[in-house]
Amino acid sequence: MARPLASQGDDEVISSKGVKKVEFVRIIAEALYSLGYSKTGAYLEEESGIPFHSSVVTVFIQQILDGSWDESLASLHKIGIVDETIIKLACFIILQQKFFELLDGEKVMDALKTLRTEIAPLSINNFRVRELSSLILSPSHRVIDGISGQEMVKPKPRSELLEDLQKLFPPTVMIPEKRLLQLVEQALDLQRDTCLFHNSLVGETSLLTDHRCGRDNIPSETVQILPDHHDEVWYLQYSKNGKYLASSSSDHSAIIWEVNLEGRVSLKHRLIGHQKPVSCVSWSPGDDQILTCGAEEVIRRWDISSGECLQVYEKGLIGSISCSWSPDGKWIFSGLTDKSIMMWDLDGKEMDCLKGQKTLRISDLQTTSDGKLITICKENMIVILDRESGTERCIKEDQMIVSFTLSWDNKFLLVSLVNEELHLWSIQGHIRFVSKYRGHRRSRFIVRACFGGFQQAFIASGSEDSQIYIWHRGSGELIETLGGHSGAVNCVSWNPTNPHMLASASDDRTIRIWGLNHVDTKSNSCIPHCNGAN
Amino acid sequence: MDVDPRQYENITINDNDSHNIVLSYLIHGCFKDTVESLVASTGLKVPAVQLEDMEKRKRILHFALEGNALDAIALTEHVSPDLLENNKDLLFDLLSLHFVELICSRKCTEALEFAQAKLTPFGKVQKYVEKLEDFMALLAYEEPEKSPMFHLLSFEYRQHVADSLNRAILAHANMPSYSALEKLIRQATVVRQCLSEELGKDVQSAFSLKEFLKS
Repeated sequence: MARPLASQGDDEVISSKGVKKVEFVRIIAEALYSLGYSKTGAYLEEESGIPFHSSVVTVFIQQILDGSWDESLASLHKIGIVDETIIKLACFIILQQKFFELLDGEKVMDALKTLRTEIAPLSINNFRVRELSSLILSPSHRVIDGISGQEMVKPKPRSELLEDLQKLFPPTVMIPEKRLLQLVEQALDLQRDTCLFHNSLVGETSLLTDHRCGRDNIPSETVQILPDHHDEVWYLQYSKNGKYLASSSSDHSAIIWEVNLEGRVSLKHRLIGHQKPVSCVSWSPGDDQILTCGAEEVIRRWDISSGECLQVYEKGLIGSISCSWSPDGKWIFSGLTDKSIMMWDLDGKEMDCLKGQKTLRISDLQTTSDGKLITICKENMIVILDRESGTERCIKEDQMIVSFTLSWDNKFLLVSLVNEELHLWSIQGHIRFVSKYRGHRRSRFIVRACFGGFQQAFIASGSEDSQIYIWHRGSGELIETLGGHSGAVNCVSWNPTNPHMLASASDDRTIRIWGLNHVDTKSNSCIPHCNGAN
Repeated sequence: MDVDPRQYENITINDNDSHNIVLSYLIHGCFKDTVESLVASTGLKVPAVQLEDMEKRKRILHFALEGNALDAIALTEHVSPDLLENNKDLLFDLLSLHFVELICSRKCTEALEFAQAKLTPFGKVQKYVEKLEDFMALLAYEEPEKSPMFHLLSFEYRQHVADSLNRAILAHANMPSYSALEKLIRQATVVRQCLSEELGKDVQSAFSLKEFLKS
C-alpha cells in the first residue's frame, strides 16, 4: 500500500516519483469502465471520493451519446474550458455530426438549415463548410463521382465523436481513453528496448515481471564447421532471402552454400575461375546471381542455380578491388586500382567511369536500394554518391577508415576504424553519428562487421584474436564473445531471415555456423573447440 | 515613344474601312439605334437579317445581365439551336447564374432543388467539380454577400458570362467573335511592346493606349 507522502488535497502524491493520487485513481476508474466493469468503477468513485468526471461532463457525455445536440452545446459552455478556440472547434464538430445525421436521415432541408444558421456563423474552417455544402448536393445514398462527396457521408458513430472531443479537450476535463493501458504498454516497450538479448518475435511479455531475455537467445554455439576452402577465408555473406551463403577465399575460389530448412548448410557450387584470391562477393538484388571479385584482378558473374560463370568484367590491366550491383540488377559497379569506379552493363559493355579519387586501393563499395554508391574516397572519409543528381554526402572520421558495412535497410553504415573502433552512422536524411563499439582486435588486416538479429538489434564483428564479438546495438554493450576459430576471424554474416544463425570466416580455413545454445543432451556431434587465445 | 511622322502620313486610310470598323464594333455590342444612325449618315449597307439577329442578341444579353438566365437560355436555343449543346461550359455558366438569382432572392429550397436537378449532372466531369463546389458553397451562408464566394454574385461576373455568350452566338453565326476595333487595338499593343523590347528600350514604360491616343 503506497503511503501518501504529501497531503495537499488535489496534489496528494502517492509515490516518490510524483504520481498524483487523484490522477492515478481516475485512470484506474477509466480502465475499469473501459473493461466494462461500470459497477466497480462507480464504487471506486464513491469509496475514493474522487469523481471520474465532473457532473457537467457526465451529463455532456450522455447528451452526445443521445444525440441531444442543442443541450450538449449548452453543457459545453458550462464545462469550464477556458480556451475559446477549443470551444468553437468542439461546437463545430458537434454540429457537423448533427449535420451528417440529418443528411443520413434524408432531412436535407434541416441539414441545410443547420449548416446556414449554426455552422457557417461560427466562422471557422470555411473550407470544411464548402465541403459540407457540396455534400448536401450528393447525400450518401446518391454518391456522384467527381464531387468531393465521394468520401463516406455516413455519419460516424457517436462514440467516435466523443473520442474526437476528448482529444480536443484538455486532459483534465476528459480522461483519454485507455490511458492506463497506454502507460503500461510504454513500460513494456521500454523494457524490450533495454533487453540486451532480445532476439525474437516470440517474447513472453508478462506484466508480472520485467522482461529479460536470457543469453540463450543469441547464437553462441558452433553448430557446423565447413572446411571446404583450402586457404584463408576472407569474406562471406548470406543472400537476402537467407537461403544461401557465399564465401570467398585466398584459395582463388568462392563457394555457394545452401541453407536447408533445418538450418543445415551444405556445399552447392564451387566457383572456380579466378587466378587470384577472391576478395569479396556481391549478391544480385534478386539473389539469383553473384559477383566475385579477384584481388586486383577481374570481376566474374555467376548463376546461382547452375554455378556457371556467365560473364567476366575487366578493364585492361587495371585490376578490380570491389564490386556491387545496381538496385535493378542491370549494371555492375567496380572500384579499380586506379581509384576510379567502373560501370558495366550485364554483357560487359562499359557504360560509365567515375574518375578522380573515388575509391582507395583497398576499399569497399556498396550500392543502396535507391541507387546511390557508397565508397571510401579518402583515408578518413566515406562518400555517398548520387549518380543521377551528382550530389555527394560525406562521413568524416578522425581516424583512418578500414572498411564499412551497409545495413540491410540501407539506413545505417557501420564503419571500421584503424583504432579498433566500430562507428555506427545514420545515413538516411541528415547524416549523424549514432554510437560506437569497442572490444575486438584489428591491427593488420581487414576485419569485417555486420548487423543482425531480430530487427537488426545486434552488431557482430570478426577479430584478429580469433573470436567473434557481439554487441547490443542500442546500448553499445558487448554481450558475447564467441571462441572456437583458431585463426583471425575476417568476416561475419548474420542470416537476415533467421535471427539465430550466424556465419564466420577465418584464416583457419574454415567457416563456422553458429546457432542457439541448446542444453541438449541428445546431441551427439562432437565439435572441436579451440581456445581462441593467440 | 517618339514617332516618325513621315511614316504615318504616308498611309492612306479608306473612309469605308473606318466606317466598317466602327460598324463592326456597334454590331458586336448590339447598339441597334446607333447602328441605324450610322447607316443613315454613311450610306453603308447592313443586311436586314443582321439587324434582326442583333436585336435578338441584345435581348438575350439583357436577360443574362439582369440575371434572368432561363429566358436567356430559351432565346439562345431559339436563335442558335445546338449552340449550348455544344458549349457545355457556357450552359453551366448560364445555369449557375439562375442558381445565383435564387440564392440572392433567398429561395434556398428552390435553389437546392434546381442545383440537384440541373447542376449535379455536370459534377460527373472533373473540370466542373471545383466550379460546382464554389457555387454550392453559397448555400451555406445566410448572407451570401459576406461569404468567401461573394464575387459570384457580382455584376462583373454576369458581364463576364454575357460576354462569353455574345462571342459564342456570333461565332455560331459565322461572324467574328471579336470586333475589328478590338482586334486592331490588341495588335497595336502587342506590336508596340515587341518593338520597344527589341530596340532595347526600358520595358517599364509599357504601351499605354491612353497616352498614345492623346499624343
